[in-house]
Amino acid sequence: MLKEGSSGLSYLEDLVWVVIHGRGVWHTGPASLIARTLAMAGMLAGRESYYYMRYDDSPERVNIPMMFYVVMGSPKVGVLLPEEVEPVGKLFSAVIVMDSVLLLKETSQRATLLDGVKNGAVIVVNTGLAPSQVAALLRKYQLSRSWSGKLVTVSASRYHNNIAFGLMGALLKAWNIVSLDHVLNALEVLNIDEGARRVVASAYRDALVTEVRLDVEEVRREREKIEIPEFRAGPWDIETYRKYQKALSRARSYEDRIRIMPRWEAIAPGLIEFGPRPGEKNLGFKTEFARIEAPIVDKAKCVDCKLCSYYCPDGAIDFKSIEVDYEYCKGCGICARVCPAKAIRMVSELERVEGLEDPELRKLSLAVREYGY
Amino acid sequence: MKVVTRVSEALQIPRKKPITGARAIAEAVKLADVDVIAAYPIRPYTGIMNALAEMIANGEFMAEIIVADSEHSQFEIAKHASAVGARTFVGSSGVGLAYATEAIIVTAMDQLPVVAIAGCRALDDPGNFGMEWNDVLLFRDSGWLISWAKDPQEALDMTLVAYRVAEDRRVMLPHFIAVDGATITHIAAPVDVPSKKDVTEFLPLYRPPYPLDPAYGPVTKAQHIAPSLIGPEQRKHVDVAMKRAREVIVEAWKDYANYVGREYSPFIEAFHMDDAEVALVTMGAYTINALHAVEKARKDGVKAGLIRLRYFRPFPFWELRKVLSSVEGVGVLDFSYSFGSPDSGGVLFNEVRAAMYENPKPALDFLFLGGREPKPDDFVRALKILYEYVRTGKTPGNKRVFWLTLRGEDV
Repeated sequence: MLKEGSSGLSYLEDLVWVVIHGRGVWHTGPASLIARTLAMAGMLAGRESYYYMRYDDSPERVNIPMMFYVVMGSPKVGVLLPEEVEPVGKLFSAVIVMDSVLLLKETSQRATLLDGVKNGAVIVVNTGLAPSQVAALLRKYQLSRSWSGKLVTVSASRYHNNIAFGLMGALLKAWNIVSLDHVLNALEVLNIDEGARRVVASAYRDALVTEVRLDVEEVRREREKIEIPEFRAGPWDIETYRKYQKALSRARSYEDRIRIMPRWEAIAPGLIEFGPRPGEKNLGFKTEFARIEAPIVDKAKCVDCKLCSYYCPDGAIDFKSIEVDYEYCKGCGICARVCPAKAIRMVSELERVEGLEDPELRKLSLAVREYGY
Repeated sequence: MKVVTRVSEALQIPRKKPITGARAIAEAVKLADVDVIAAYPIRPYTGIMNALAEMIANGEFMAEIIVADSEHSQFEIAKHASAVGARTFVGSSGVGLAYATEAIIVTAMDQLPVVAIAGCRALDDPGNFGMEWNDVLLFRDSGWLISWAKDPQEALDMTLVAYRVAEDRRVMLPHFIAVDGATITHIAAPVDVPSKKDVTEFLPLYRPPYPLDPAYGPVTKAQHIAPSLIGPEQRKHVDVAMKRAREVIVEAWKDYANYVGREYSPFIEAFHMDDAEVALVTMGAYTINALHAVEKARKDGVKAGLIRLRYFRPFPFWELRKVLSSVEGVGVLDFSYSFGSPDSGGVLFNEVRAAMYENPKPALDFLFLGGREPKPDDFVRALKILYEYVRTGKTPGNKRVFWLTLRGEDV
């Protein structure tokens, strides 16, 4: 008899999966180059390969966490999308993280970095931090079950403005599904210039590989339990809608968000969104996951002109107290620019939260300053 | 570390490269040596026009690429360029296609062999970038040929064959190639790009019958129609062309296999249908996922089959009737919907049922609407409901139509 459940769809586990975590616009180019090259290298190694990108369910925007997937294996793979990845669990054999702020919390609305990662997999992080610091961050923010594998750190922008090459070299140091030769040949097949090949080779030589074992017993992350609002069948009413919105605002993971999403009967006909009442937060529309830099207000310098509060596109700066609400701040830096007293300074999220300085992030923030948010 | 090896020294370079569906279509346009490309950005057409612009800038081929101020102008440009005698390429999706409706309809009535990409995208207020078929199916009744690709490779092949079919003197109709947004256009899969020589032999230069060019003598196109003088007669021309297209499509795919070496069954692709008791019918990119569900069902002892329609217009009713003649139940995996239609079902569902009118089969519709992606499990569930229906004559809630990805009560 026919059984439900995707467990019978064994083809998912038979494939080799690589996931690349990056941010919209800044990392789309390098991430797609890595995906394209790895897929071509996979083809050269005799595996049918394909790749695709996802922005979760947000449209493409600057700084929004995005992912590229590279899949190697059966020529009969179908269209596989992230929702399918989750139930399968142990899936990825390599993870590439393009900036260290991504290590901080749920990288996307969907999952933590270590969800779906196989034991023994390779995690490559583009950072100037020491491997022990990266491991500590992973343990603190990303661990939902024990994991052991290889951690590779590389400061990719030291090699080339395009961080793709350094990251690829670092990956190959610890990952043996395709060889360095396959990747160098792939670069040639794809007409990517000779310089790039040299960069990949030097990053390969320099990358630091550390064996890591992260045990969940050390730090257990309790996920908040969110109850799904009770639904009374009948004509639509605004109270049910508000209950759902409130529950949604507490969701910390994509899984929770999807679980709590209202059923159709609870959504207002005509898709009306009821905005926040004065003094209330815009529940369900948090933007913190897009932040790589955070504003810090120096109260000693503040002249209380309220410009930052007026200009903040997300209403994240309180009018009276000039306190930043970091759940709603997306880190655009407009407040820092409009401040006449120069009382607001933008620091990397990693520095604000953990007090760590990462030279790789400095390069990213220079790009943000130059090309805008 | 080993010294860098040259590719020429590497053992073998596979003919296939991983490229996105958008890029694959652009490669086909380049191979077809298109003269005029009309562009206006909308996902997923943006990727195609970007790739084409890059190719032209790099001097890989010559074409006039005209960036329009809107989809309406974009399709007008393609229409007029085609009337002059150019081989043209255009494309859009979702509400963009809806905006271009006027030009799209006149293109067919004027029998101009424009080839257009329709990147299936949910028709919605700004925001919904999910995949739905309703944008293409707006033009179901307009006289355009409509084919549905399965993967980037087929999207490339279909684009080349589309020019051949559309420009055939027996047809002379515009041709939509529907590609499921994101699931084909934004996924890079191994694609074998045919050689220029093979393509040129398969698809010679376009020779328009009556180019709008003083050198060929004066002609007027798209003249005013007074229904008392011309009315049904013009419609009949399009009708006859659409009917003739069936044989031309079969010929073209046969010829394509001869020149390029990839064989396709022209109208429908059938999987495990020899002994199938229940069959799923679908189109487009999710065919492969559905196939995995069908193969899983077979392991569990259910004789399931899968049919993919490659053309929606002309609708392969004859082929479908034949292949469905031995099954006991049909389930349609449907990404389209028609509010208030018979049994409140999808567009494909009702087309399939109409095709089976002479020899009706129990049929169910499984809807995936609003752009939400189906999981492999949804297809397994569809098969389960269908199998139960065939065995016991009962379905959950005695329904014929199921919104499988809906949250809330499916009333």
